[in-house]
Amino acid sequence: MTPRGETRLWILQRASAAVLALCVAVHLGTMIYAVRGGLSAAEILSRTKGNLAWLAFYSLFVLAVAVHVPIGLRSVLAEWLAWRGRSRDAVLAAFAMALALLGMRAVFGVFR
Amino acid sequence: MSAFRVSVWRGGADGAFQEFEVPRAASQTVLDVVTHIQRKLDATLAYRFACRVGMCGSCAMTVNGIARWTCRTRVDRVLKNDRLVLAPLRNLPVIRDLVADMREFFDKWARAKGEFRGGSTRNDAIARVRPNSPAREQVDAAIECIGCGVCYASCDVVAQLPAYLGPAALNRAWTLVRDSRDKAGLERLRAVAGDAGCHACHTQMGCTERCPKRLAPTAGIAGLKREVLKAALNGLL
Repeated sequence: MTPRGETRLWILQRASAAVLALCVAVHLGTMIYAVRGGLSAAEILSRTKGNLAWLAFYSLFVLAVAVHVPIGLRSVLAEWLAWRGRSRDAVLAAFAMALALLGMRAVFGVFR
Repeated sequence: MSAFRVSVWRGGADGAFQEFEVPRAASQTVLDVVTHIQRKLDATLAYRFACRVGMCGSCAMTVNGIARWTCRTRVDRVLKNDRLVLAPLRNLPVIRDLVADMREFFDKWARAKGEFRGGSTRNDAIARVRPNSPAREQVDAAIECIGCGVCYASCDVVAQLPAYLGPAALNRAWTLVRDSRDKAGLERLRAVAGDAGCHACHTQMGCTERCPKRLAPTAGIAGLKREVLKAALNGLL
């Protein structure tokens, strides 16, 4: 990959990490606050269904994960398995798509 | 006079440790120990040194598991259970005994565009660089590298990713990036960007911890990341 491409990935990695730091904090804080004396599936769905703010927040969360994780794995694969080059990047691009699709499916699953 | 045991790596990559017994002496350095072995006990021992005073950067070895400049390392400070274990530098091929092959190490300086590229001729006025300008102060903090390879041998990223340029080459590139007289800035930033360059650094700071000149290559690498980021955001990279 070109220096420009590598640098773009690095920027995306840092930017997505900043988004994730916020998302994880909000996610954990909300969970601890909402659960309190126990939470049923019906209660969760009653809060998430049709809630646009919830949809926007978790869509951002999922997309940040789909960007962040494959770029991190890219370094792990290079350093642990000495796997570099196009084959690695193609597999990771597919993995990023899978994360995004599965994540968004889950988000829409409790929104609708 | 008391003596202590020294295990010394002998042979190439498939060599083994050989035991010696060396007498203690006042203010004895690890390089003194190796020299004693070669002069008095086994003349076939191969090792490298030149200045003996911490300037040339040629005598670095692994001493009890840690990369050090041996000419400025006192035996008192590193002796463990009356024993020294001496091996060639890590992350470099062994030529023989305590001599590591430094070619890849210095080739990476060239790959990181570690040479100064000026833009003026002898007919131009001498460039004025204010010693207290921020850029020059950053250069001063990083310029005293003696090329000993201790940082390179101490870097776990180099161990895991052999293509990684390493702390010394990147530190050198950083001193040139901040040199107002140098004209190869963008080309050098391209050379050091990417997953074999500054972006591969995990900020573990092994280099900064071990550098015998107390430089901080990690800070220089962070500086390179910032400069590469600026160039990328300005669409220059």
